[in-house]
Amino acid sequence: MNVSASSKITNLQYILINSGLQVSVFFLALPRILAEQAGTDGWVSLIIGWMITVAASLIVVKIMARYPEGTLLDLLTHYGGKWAGRTAAVCLLLYLFYFGYSCLVQTALITKEWLLPQTSAYMIILLLLIPTYIVAISGIRIIGRYAEIVTLVSLWIPLVYLLPLKEAHWLHLLPIAGEGWQPIGAGVPYSLYCFLGFVSTFIFYPFLQNKSQASMAITVSNSLTLLAHLFVTLVCYVYFSPDEIREYNEPAINVLKIIEFKFIERIEVIFIAFYLLVFSLGWIPALYICAYCTNWLRNTQAERNHVRFFCLLLAIGSFFFIPDFHQNEMIEQIFLRLGILIEYILPIFLLLYVSVHDRFSGRKKA
Amino acid sequence: MNKLLLPILLLAATTGLLTGCADRLDMENASIPLTLGLDLGQDNEPVMYSTFPVFTKNSKKKTQETSARARTFRQSRAEQDAHSAGVFSGRNYQVFLIGKRMLEQENWFQMLDVIFRDSKNTVSDRVIVFDGPLADIIYLNPKDQPLLPILLRGMVDTKSGKSETVNTNLQELHRQLFESGMTPSISEVRLDAKKNIKLNGTALLNHQGKYVTSLDTSETVLLRILQNKVKKSASITLSMPGEPEQKPFHLDKISFATDQTRTETKTITSTHQGEFHFDIIIKMKISLFEVLFPYDIENKTPELEQLLSEEMQKQFEKLIKKIQQHAIDPVGLGLHARAFEYKEYKAVKNDWGKALSSADIRVQVKIKIDAMGPVK
Repeated sequence: MNVSASSKITNLQYILINSGLQVSVFFLALPRILAEQAGTDGWVSLIIGWMITVAASLIVVKIMARYPEGTLLDLLTHYGGKWAGRTAAVCLLLYLFYFGYSCLVQTALITKEWLLPQTSAYMIILLLLIPTYIVAISGIRIIGRYAEIVTLVSLWIPLVYLLPLKEAHWLHLLPIAGEGWQPIGAGVPYSLYCFLGFVSTFIFYPFLQNKSQASMAITVSNSLTLLAHLFVTLVCYVYFSPDEIREYNEPAINVLKIIEFKFIERIEVIFIAFYLLVFSLGWIPALYICAYCTNWLRNTQAERNHVRFFCLLLAIGSFFFIPDFHQNEMIEQIFLRLGILIEYILPIFLLLYVSVHDRFSGRKKA
Repeated sequence: MNKLLLPILLLAATTGLLTGCADRLDMENASIPLTLGLDLGQDNEPVMYSTFPVFTKNSKKKTQETSARARTFRQSRAEQDAHSAGVFSGRNYQVFLIGKRMLEQENWFQMLDVIFRDSKNTVSDRVIVFDGPLADIIYLNPKDQPLLPILLRGMVDTKSGKSETVNTNLQELHRQLFESGMTPSISEVRLDAKKNIKLNGTALLNHQGKYVTSLDTSETVLLRILQNKVKKSASITLSMPGEPEQKPFHLDKISFATDQTRTETKTITSTHQGEFHFDIIIKMKISLFEVLFPYDIENKTPELEQLLSEEMQKQFEKLIKKIQQHAIDPVGLGLHARAFEYKEYKAVKNDWGKALSSADIRVQVKIKIDAMGPVK
């Protein structure tokens, strides 16, 4: 595959796209999900999840380094033949479409609940799709720049999360592992949930300007995600009582409700509006990768048309069906299992296969 | 031509999307209730009150009050709506008033579900209990004071800054009620003999949200010190034992303000009975403001510090005894118990108030006089 110099992305852009995919909408409910499993020790699960993620993403980078000029699809075609590549493309396509779709639907539902209760979810999705279309159609480099801009304009958000700390009860965090390590272990799979998204490396690797630093970049990206999640989770844990936090669906929003300024009440409304930018980093790269996959499958040079197709598909599909909250929960559950299988387990086998294959064919040559 | 077609189509589609403004609400058509009230009527049915500011030039009265009898808040909305010119919306509540009779029921808090479930409602309303039937204060409309919600909110905000009452809003009350390691405390107001609104101190509730007892303002200061929540200075007046009173004056008094208080709580559980011990060490730096009896402060500072510490310790012990008698924990000692003695705490978690009432709580006060003022 030929990657033109104009579609290369810098390490920083790559880091931000990846973290954007990982953070997206998942952090709103994360403190509750972790608290349900591990109580106030959820942050320990988060750190364990981060370690696993760093290992898994390094494996991904290691696989990609075997065939640095192509994406996973080219790599599999190289190693396993045409059909291996095609199967991978279909799998990746379906998975990332699911990823993007669940982000989009969740965003629409949250926007509807907190911001626009009387607007239909379909309308919200349509409105969200307009900027999505504009960004995703412009190619990977623009997505990278978009990620940079979103990060820049979101830098003030952590500062506002410091305000609830006025009412912090640090004692909530103790005792660490009061119930033993079993609940913390139970929380680990759910903490992996919020790191899902580094699968994008499979596609973005050949676009990287500086491939020798890819391992470093992905580790930085994962750590950035960890910091964001850990920060929000800890703020919620010290603010809400451990007995209370499970009562809220999205504690990361509720924690803002109490902030008062003389000139504005209900500050969380403004936040949801700003969060939409952060959320959008969840589905824009995902949709782009979907378009990349279909484009690769049909072996054409019309990526833009494929982006158009996916946007249209989402717009028309949402007209007929939008999941309610219960179905959304189910989507998340399936997504969690699927994600762990595709992003954590499959790469291990792939690495084994690739290295065995290399050794085998290397011997044959010799 | 073809190049223009797509943008034009997109523009047309976007214009078609601009239907979001259909649900807008003009300011003129909105009624903005600032007070939310809940009380138990004569017939033991809940009554909901609200007060709105009125922005019309012609009306002499600046507020409108409505009351409605309904099973739930949401249900009462239609009825309250019928009384006002605009559309009722709950996004601007400043205070939540609850009548004492309502507070004497258990689980009244569940009625407030709508506040938390409907995300449009504010949760930073100050929670205040009114000692008497709520109608008395809602329809009072004193001529020489600001609007009731603004008056009450100001009262709670400033007095809680001086630690004379607690600053509990609905979100905080939600936390305190769900937290098994502490019991809620909210501000209390009443009408004095001349029908003036007066801040009474703090009402203490039990785990079910039922009213248990009240603390006056000076006791509240002590409570806030125990909670380690005194941020600005709080002022305390003590009677010195051994000094003659000399009626009609009280010449045995000494007043001071805290410059800095730091409370350290240690939890120890004795293993054989699972009984809790709390060692509370309170370090205070104070400035003297008023000494009504002759005392050689300059030369006998350590003695005075010692005397004050002992006196304060007695006050604290009295307060703790009161708390233990009622089997409640407004201080939040349960948080310490959970953090440091989790196993034992877990066993008594469901009735922490009772466990605390048999706990051994020791207070130690260390006072240091920072300043004695410009007079010797």
